Amino acid sequence: MSLKYGVLGLLAEEPLHGYEVKNRFETMLGGTWEVNIGQIYTTLQRLERDGLVRPVGARGDRGKLLYELSPSGRKALVSWLAQPDSGPQQLHEDIYVKLLLATRVANGGLPALLGRQKRAYLQRLRDLNQLEDRARRDGRNDLAQLIRGALLHTEADLKWVDELAADALGGKTE
Amino acid sequence: MTELVRLTDVIKVYQGGITGALNGVSLSIEQGEFTAVMGPSGSGKSTLLNLIAGLDRPTSGDVAVGGTDLGALGEAGLARFRRDHVGFVFQFFHLLPNLTALENVLIPAQLKGRESADTRGRKLLETLGIPEVAERYPAKLSGGQQQRVAIARALINNPTLLLADEPTGALDTHSGDQVMDLLAQLHREGQTILLVTHDAKLATRHAARVISVTDGKIVDDARLETTERSASDVVRVRSEETSR
Ligand SMILES: Nc1ncnc2c1ncn2[C@@H]1O[C@H](COP(=O)(O)OP(=O)(O)OP(=O)(O)O)[C@@H](O)[C@H]1O
Ligand SMILES: [Mg+2]
Repeated sequence: MSLKYGVLGLLAEEPLHGYEVKNRFETMLGGTWEVNIGQIYTTLQRLERDGLVRPVGARGDRGKLLYELSPSGRKALVSWLAQPDSGPQQLHEDIYVKLLLATRVANGGLPALLGRQKRAYLQRLRDLNQLEDRARRDGRNDLAQLIRGALLHTEADLKWVDELAADALGGKTE
Repeated sequence: MTELVRLTDVIKVYQGGITGALNGVSLSIEQGEFTAVMGPSGSGKSTLLNLIAGLDRPTSGDVAVGGTDLGALGEAGLARFRRDHVGFVFQFFHLLPNLTALENVLIPAQLKGRESADTRGRKLLETLGIPEVAERYPAKLSGGQQQRVAIARALINNPTLLLADEPTGALDTHSGDQVMDLLAQLHREGQTILLVTHDAKLATRHAARVISVTDGKIVDDARLETTERSASDVVRVRSEETSR
């Protein structure tokens, strides 16, 4: 979904070739989202089909084709930007399902599972901290803010695992 | 690596306490380590720090710092140990209100009778970014400034070990970050630091080792990987492409 609007957003700055879109998109995301050039071309074709972008100049060597945003493309971008993310919360990680199964499966080893998960979260917090520092050193405050969001999410995950561990021990929580 | 702190089967039961504040803690800390201690309120974190600092004695078990068995020291010996080897930073600064910032910094130094203490005190305040507060009283300082004065006081005798019990707990985010950056700087210069904090972001940002305490026991002791990882190994924005 947002690759489409990512492409629209980059073209809103200036007309670009497909490979420039790929490079700029990946740079913008600071390595947190890698796309292959095929995905970019497919996206551009779809956007062209829907009238949101159009090729500039002569159609020749596909790799060299320059795309620009159409007026309806700009409108679509602006209305997407104005829309809050109101869909269901995405929980992509296995831990959610593991948690449910570990309580059902005999010897599911819930406390040990939580202990290992806690370590993984601590390590991720450390890695995210380093990444945030690096982004700031590179003058990428926008990226640092994105990583800060990830940090706070992981902090919440850690608190959750701590709560679950306290429950599993039948102990008190904070 | 040289071991600096060793706790062996430490139990602490306070007077009138029904359950122990520490229930069998064994722990070894290397020189130069930056270790964070985390755990719920009442889990025994401050008790642990106080025992390592020689501010209190265990009910049973041994505490050794720099090879010295603290249990073998009398009260005077323990006081000398604290003065010479331990810097302690508290959540609420614990500055004496009727002394200036510089005088507060020099309390432990005066006890030690150092000639150049005054110069060193001023230099420390400068290093910590607050040279201008030397002659001011604590009440006239912001929380962040007070905590930096407290850090200077903790450092005045070049302690072997710096203990910090929630040093950012009473500070706003910005002053807290400044204080933590100072601790990180000290660590880079070789200072061994043991930090109690409730903030996992702060703990992992600076400490490569995170000890979790629950009900007076160490329930986890994590040494984190410190090698830098590429962004895509740490966080992915929407890795699965769902657009059609
Ligand atoms: N001087 C004391 N006398 C009696 N009991 C004490 C004393 N100090 C601490 N305790 C008790 O010992 C236990 C551990 O306390 P401690 O202060 O070490 O916890 P903590 O982990 O530092 O908590 P917090 O996060 O709230 O600072 C608690 O149950 C506390 O009530
Ligand atoms: Mg405490």
